[in-house]
Amino acid sequence: MLKCTINGVALEVKPGTTIIEAMTQNAQRIAHYCWHPGLSVAGVCRLCMVEIQGNPRVQIACNTVITEGMVINNTSDKVKDAVKWGLDFHLINHPLDCPVCDQAGECGLQDQYMEYGQYDSEMAEKKQKKHKVVDLGPTVVLDSERCILCSRCVRFTDEVSKTNELGIFNRGDHAEIGTHAGKKLDNKYSLNTVDICPVGALTSKDFRFKQRVWYLKDAETVCNGCSTGCNVKVYFNKEGLFRIKPVYNAEVNGHWMCDEGRDTYKFVNIGARMTKAHKNGGSSAWVETHAGAMAKEVGLTLKAAAGDQVGLVLTGQHTVEEYESIVSTFINTFKTKNIFHWVNNKESFEAFDGILLRGDKNPNTKGLLQVLEKHGVSATWAQLEEGVKSKKIKHLVVVGPEAAHVYPDLDAKMQFFMTAENVVIMSAAKLPVVEEYKGSNKISTIPLKTFIEKDGTFVNFQGRAQKIKKVTTVVSEALTVSEAATLMAGQNLEIHVATSRELLMPENVRADQVHLESRKKNEFVFNRGRL
Amino acid sequence: MSVVKQKDEKKEWYLLGIVTGLGITMKHLLVNLFNKKKMITLNYPEEKYEYSPRFKGNHVLTVKKDGSIRCTACMLCATNCPAECITIKASEHPDAQVEKYPISYEIDILRCVFCGFCEEACPVDAVRLGPEWQTPGLNGSNFTYDINHLAYRPALKGGVHSVVDDQDRHKAGI
Repeated sequence: MLKCTINGVALEVKPGTTIIEAMTQNAQRIAHYCWHPGLSVAGVCRLCMVEIQGNPRVQIACNTVITEGMVINNTSDKVKDAVKWGLDFHLINHPLDCPVCDQAGECGLQDQYMEYGQYDSEMAEKKQKKHKVVDLGPTVVLDSERCILCSRCVRFTDEVSKTNELGIFNRGDHAEIGTHAGKKLDNKYSLNTVDICPVGALTSKDFRFKQRVWYLKDAETVCNGCSTGCNVKVYFNKEGLFRIKPVYNAEVNGHWMCDEGRDTYKFVNIGARMTKAHKNGGSSAWVETHAGAMAKEVGLTLKAAAGDQVGLVLTGQHTVEEYESIVSTFINTFKTKNIFHWVNNKESFEAFDGILLRGDKNPNTKGLLQVLEKHGVSATWAQLEEGVKSKKIKHLVVVGPEAAHVYPDLDAKMQFFMTAENVVIMSAAKLPVVEEYKGSNKISTIPLKTFIEKDGTFVNFQGRAQKIKKVTTVVSEALTVSEAATLMAGQNLEIHVATSRELLMPENVRADQVHLESRKKNEFVFNRGRL
Repeated sequence: MSVVKQKDEKKEWYLLGIVTGLGITMKHLLVNLFNKKKMITLNYPEEKYEYSPRFKGNHVLTVKKDGSIRCTACMLCATNCPAECITIKASEHPDAQVEKYPISYEIDILRCVFCGFCEEACPVDAVRLGPEWQTPGLNGSNFTYDINHLAYRPALKGGVHSVVDDQDRHKAGI
């Protein structure tokens, strides 16, 4: 270990650590654009200047390795001046696009300008005009004028995705980012370039102009797109979810996530959701009912039936806690071990693209298998097919997938389930099969909550259990699987009303304090967390 | 609320006060009757008061020289609005130089408090508070003004031109 001092704080670092690494690891602020912890060092932005004692000139922190006894400082006037003039050069050709730029609010240039800049430009020359709204590929739009040529995106396609689509073309102030002739930025990780772009040069087609970032709140959770279980941050407001970005986790996903995973917010939003419970009303009427009431009714039906007439189909898209409660409800209350695991794409289940994407498109297959093993459930799919065919299994409860689009066999399997006498479909997604059978006197539905709306644990392909926390509520009437299981078992969901003492509320807050809707929106505006 | 009543000899003589008050009323009545020019009230529907040019009345969305809407849908007015009465939906403009424009810009005028913060926040002089203030409507009429009303209502005679012009800016090299 090497001893050094950064901004007056004595630190010990591993040999080979660069100054900027040491600073970011110890929560010291330093201006930088081109350096990214997941990429190689380029040293092109010249913004991470630090003063090293004994060295007459300021040095860049990203490419200077710490040596024994180094005394480093980036708060002196000399450093601030260097950063300020560095920033001036970055801003020479940068257009005044902030009002139309999607990055505004989380932009590196805005941040550094507010911290170090705040001056009028001293350039007498006109700004260099470059291409605007360049279609780089199916996911990304480029604005060359806004680009500061930090080369993060180029290094990303070289080093991480290894697809080498991007490059810097031309020289001097004509230099701009672009794709090589005839190529498109079209890989499964392309949207990471948008994340790492410190300015608004690369923007995501999906998120473009949907929301200003300061209207969005963020919260960390785990992606449920595949069994990798990348740690992600979801951005949402009261209208729903708008985008997903990766969060650093060295053991699981590093700094990145795939483009498919970024689409997982779409099935959470209300347009794609099953919002109401329905039951068949006897005379083939389709009656809307409350999800909890429906679950209780299903519980009564199942209790009245013999154990071997009841079956449960589970998918790998729910949390361990939910599996635990529904499996134990079926075993203990309904006295059946007819619990079946619906595997969506058997052929490509073990596929892996070498970076993050896995063929198993369920976040919690491992967790489901663990719970089934623990309860000694060994029913196979063949048994289900046989049981339904021979009319032995009459009541089938299907806990369907949240992300219906990753189930290519969804329709075929659903049609197969419909051959049973009474089918209860518990699903978060709107399913076409429900529309088809809605008057047929054999199907009832219970809306479920998605991974955004509940607490729980996902076990990823490594066997790593990752906790997720509730982020927001989209469909308030929907139940989690464990709530549904509790209600089916005939118990009630207790609503515990916390007293003010429990909430650690100050005693002088009136009990009838009004919480205005507008105040809540203001929270979105002002308390949306760190960028 | 507790009021402390003070005993005062003078207050016992209230009749004097009433007579003085009636006297003042009579004075104004007579002045108004015989000297109408000095009357400080207006015969409202026929006579109207001229407000100063800085008066903050109903909103106007300005237009560019070609008549298209100036707003870039940056949402700063909606962010700044204390009454939260502005709703904007942004979209991609076919012209790459314009890039972003509002496909819907709505002001809920009944929620608006006419503070003028939207005008102040606007970076491109796209929204202004105009001189109009008589905008009654029948019960149930639409008080959510859309782009069509805000920018192209007949009273504006084809639209108010914005002072910030992109072409000029580009020529100046900004």
